[in-house]
Amino acid sequence: MIIFAARRLLAALLTALAASILAFILFWTVPNVDPAFWLGGGQKGNNASRALATEKYGLDDPLPVQYVRLMENILNGKVDCFYGCANLREAFLQALPVTISLVLGAALLSVGLGIWLGLICVRHRGRWPDRLITGAAAAVYSLPSIVLAALLWAFVAHKWGVFPDEGYVPLRDNPFEWARHLILPWIAAGLPFAGAYVLVVRASLLSAVNEDWVRTARAKGMSERRVIRRHVLRTGLIPPVNIWGLDFSHAFGGFALYVETIFGLPGVGSLTADTIGTFDLPPVVALAIYLAIVVVFASALVDIAVAWLDPRIRRARATT
Amino acid sequence: MRRDRGALVFAAVFTVIVLALLAAPLYASEIADTTPADNHLTDTTVVDGKRVDVVGLDSIPIGPTWQGNYFLGADYNGRDLMVRLLYGARTSIVVGVGAVLLSFLLGIPLALAAGYRRGRTDAVISRLFDVLWSFPALLLGVLLSTALTLHGVDIGPVSVGSGSRLIPIFVIGLVYVPYIARPLRGQVLALREQPFVEAARASGMRVSAVMRSELMPHLWGTLLVLAPILLVNAVALEVALSFLGAGINPPEPSLGTLIEDGLTKAASSPHLLLVPSIALVVIVLTLNGLAEGLRRALDPHGVLGLGLVRGE
Repeated sequence: MIIFAARRLLAALLTALAASILAFILFWTVPNVDPAFWLGGGQKGNNASRALATEKYGLDDPLPVQYVRLMENILNGKVDCFYGCANLREAFLQALPVTISLVLGAALLSVGLGIWLGLICVRHRGRWPDRLITGAAAAVYSLPSIVLAALLWAFVAHKWGVFPDEGYVPLRDNPFEWARHLILPWIAAGLPFAGAYVLVVRASLLSAVNEDWVRTARAKGMSERRVIRRHVLRTGLIPPVNIWGLDFSHAFGGFALYVETIFGLPGVGSLTADTIGTFDLPPVVALAIYLAIVVVFASALVDIAVAWLDPRIRRARATT
Repeated sequence: MRRDRGALVFAAVFTVIVLALLAAPLYASEIADTTPADNHLTDTTVVDGKRVDVVGLDSIPIGPTWQGNYFLGADYNGRDLMVRLLYGARTSIVVGVGAVLLSFLLGIPLALAAGYRRGRTDAVISRLFDVLWSFPALLLGVLLSTALTLHGVDIGPVSVGSGSRLIPIFVIGLVYVPYIARPLRGQVLALREQPFVEAARASGMRVSAVMRSELMPHLWGTLLVLAPILLVNAVALEVALSFLGAGINPPEPSLGTLIEDGLTKAASSPHLLLVPSIALVVIVLTLNGLAEGLRRALDPHGVLGLGLVRGE
């Protein structure tokens, strides 16, 4: 297990490194790009400011040197912004709990609904509750979360004022207010995923129901509740867990961007979206790399958790 | 496909949507008598025999009139929302289709090379996909788009300005390449061990010919199932990118810019948010239905593992 975890974390480290090189190439060495032009203030800059930028950022140095220096600055948080942010790393770490609250809440909501409704479908397979739930799930799955977020914010929060339309309260300060600020974002981000998960869980559990060991368990007179909990759920939930891991590690660079922007949550998503809006080059690269690190390590942690749950995966993956 | 009535219905609905979007200029010039960019801040229109301002004195635009002019109401610049919706949805679909075609164009050769050549080629291509895959689609899209918008693209004879529609097409197309190439590569890996491929190879066929006439015919089914799934994701990504200001630029309508525009004004003019939102949901619902029908018809046992390909 420890070997598997170490291998997975090493792979994550390499991926993060590759991602950072990709981001560097993207912004610094695309053909026809003059970083000095952008770092020297873009259209508003002049020759003097460009020369200053060249000097300051060492833009005449060889590319590997520039890459290493940029990474050092990014990891220390010493990235210059032209629009006044004190320390990007601090800002990012301060915003991270907001996004973690959003993503974890949405994950719990969608996974909980997915398993609960999926189980109801399996118990009543082929009859009306099954058809009703799968139909509703397919419809909800087609509801893009950006539309859901926009509608919930505009009407429920902004117009009718049922829930706050802006801001965030830390969990430690006031758990009730924390939940009140996050409930609509959770629904907006979690519900479309819940629709997909009901279908995935249902399909996966249905194939688990037909396994030999489930028939054996029933044959020896085990209660239905116990059969489902001990034999169906345990094997049937492994494929969905892999999907959840991918979805919610990606969420940090996915729905967090627009859900936080719409609901005025000061998380890493809205921080990134705001920075992109300013077209301020160095902080955009820095934030992208921070986010990539979070995404890569979140998915590594999920993989390790899955392997911990299921020894078969641990062995299969350790050998490849 | 023919037996699946659901898929046929969705295919018909999608055809109607596409035809309606193609007729957008016709609607604009013949019925609404305006263009998506024309402001009518000081104009009036006739509703139920009464003359009303397009944009009221309190600067609130009129809602749906359900008649030729301003069928779905106007926006804060007095622009006809129905016309903007038709043009905007058209832009979104064009960007989506363009992106899907580009992903196919890049993904198919890469998948063929990786799956057929195996070895080092496969290792390099697969690692590249792993890196791209580890980036969330939206973040990668936003990054690429920002980089391209900052610099413009100027490679050889191709020169694309920073406001061009080609940028989102290029960005979205690139982001989804691994989503196509991964399942295809797996299929090619399995196909190349089949006797007919071995026979073709033994008869001295060139590699490119084997790929074209022995492998490709088996991949069309997969591509046909993947296309609508990918199109949904591409359209949704365009909406998210434009919403964040990294896709289609505001004066030009797209579903993303229309939703972004309507968001803050929804309290006083709900139609500005509801109309593009409903349009997007209808398009996504239709394409999902079509994708599910195609999958059931072409891959009934789910062997291809083309379940939910999710970008965002």
